[in-house]
Amino acid sequence: MVMNKFEQELQQKLDSLSREKQPQRDLWKGIELSLETNTTERAASGFQTKHLAMAATVVLVATLSWFTLKPMRPETQQNLTGQSLVQALSNQHQQQMNALLVKFEGQPAMTQNWKQQLQELDSAASAIKAALEEDPNNTALLKMLQNVYQQQMMLVERVHAPKWQKI
Amino acid sequence: MIDAHASVVDASEAFLQAKEKALIQTAQKGDRQAYHALYEMHVKRVYALCYRLTSDQALAEDATQEVFIQLWRKLGNFDGKSRFTTWLHSVTANVTVSYMRKQRGWFQRMFNIEESVAEFELAESSSAEVDLESYIVRLPERARMVFVLHAIEGYRHEEIADMLNIALGTSKSQFHRAKQLMKEWMGYGDE
Repeated sequence: MVMNKFEQELQQKLDSLSREKQPQRDLWKGIELSLETNTTERAASGFQTKHLAMAATVVLVATLSWFTLKPMRPETQQNLTGQSLVQALSNQHQQQMNALLVKFEGQPAMTQNWKQQLQELDSAASAIKAALEEDPNNTALLKMLQNVYQQQMMLVERVHAPKWQKI
Repeated sequence: MIDAHASVVDASEAFLQAKEKALIQTAQKGDRQAYHALYEMHVKRVYALCYRLTSDQALAEDATQEVFIQLWRKLGNFDGKSRFTTWLHSVTANVTVSYMRKQRGWFQRMFNIEESVAEFELAESSSAEVDLESYIVRLPERARMVFVLHAIEGYRHEEIADMLNIALGTSKSQFHRAKQLMKEWMGYGDE
């Protein structure tokens, strides 16, 4: 079959596409730290205690999630739009954040100013929500809000979980 | 007549493969330095695939780290029957897809708002001069993942359907959608 001009150009572009791309930061140090942490954790003498603590955390998070998510269920099953969608998104995010903060409670953070960064993201979320009050069905704004919430969760995970640490 | 250039290329390729094999065997025994050398050999390829799948620099960097963390644990499973790069790409694709699902899953299950985003961006920046990389990044998520796995990585639609947990027909239709969007962006919209 003869390829049309578009297929030919696409094939040329695919053939010349570089198979390599340089990451913008050094990723090895984070990987090495994670491998080191895993090895140390496995070798730790308090192995059983750690597992009990982890199990307790999982039970706690599961219990909290059960109680906090329960009231959301009827609402999320509906086809949400406008302000109710924003509200549901915010509520769900708050519950996820609470669960994360409980999970990492007592663990040392890798950076000192993570709470400040969290507040800055909070301010960004508030600004987007204010804009959404004017235009509740704006998909781009909803996407932005979703991104900000996602960044907040990633921030909390990164500063508490060594494998995501940026060095 | 002996092609001297081809011989040099063959010898160089053979040397790299022998070096890679030695590094894999040493790393399988738990040698971290050998694993670092393997990382250096392949990180750019792994990151390129992660970036094309996620279309997000930070997410791609995190996914690349996750790939190499999981690869360290899985390295013992590599039996050398296939090429290491083939196996590595398969691990990379699977880990990245699973990582993306974990990061974005609940948002998209609740609110299916991803699909319309590319349409906004399309109107703003149509140009025949843009390279393929930019087109890939602009594709909607599912169409992009299918396009990358099929057109660039060479996976069959059956394999992609398994990997992404979608129907075979969905994989084919998303690939068609990706091509239609690119056709439009490359200025072939009226053909």
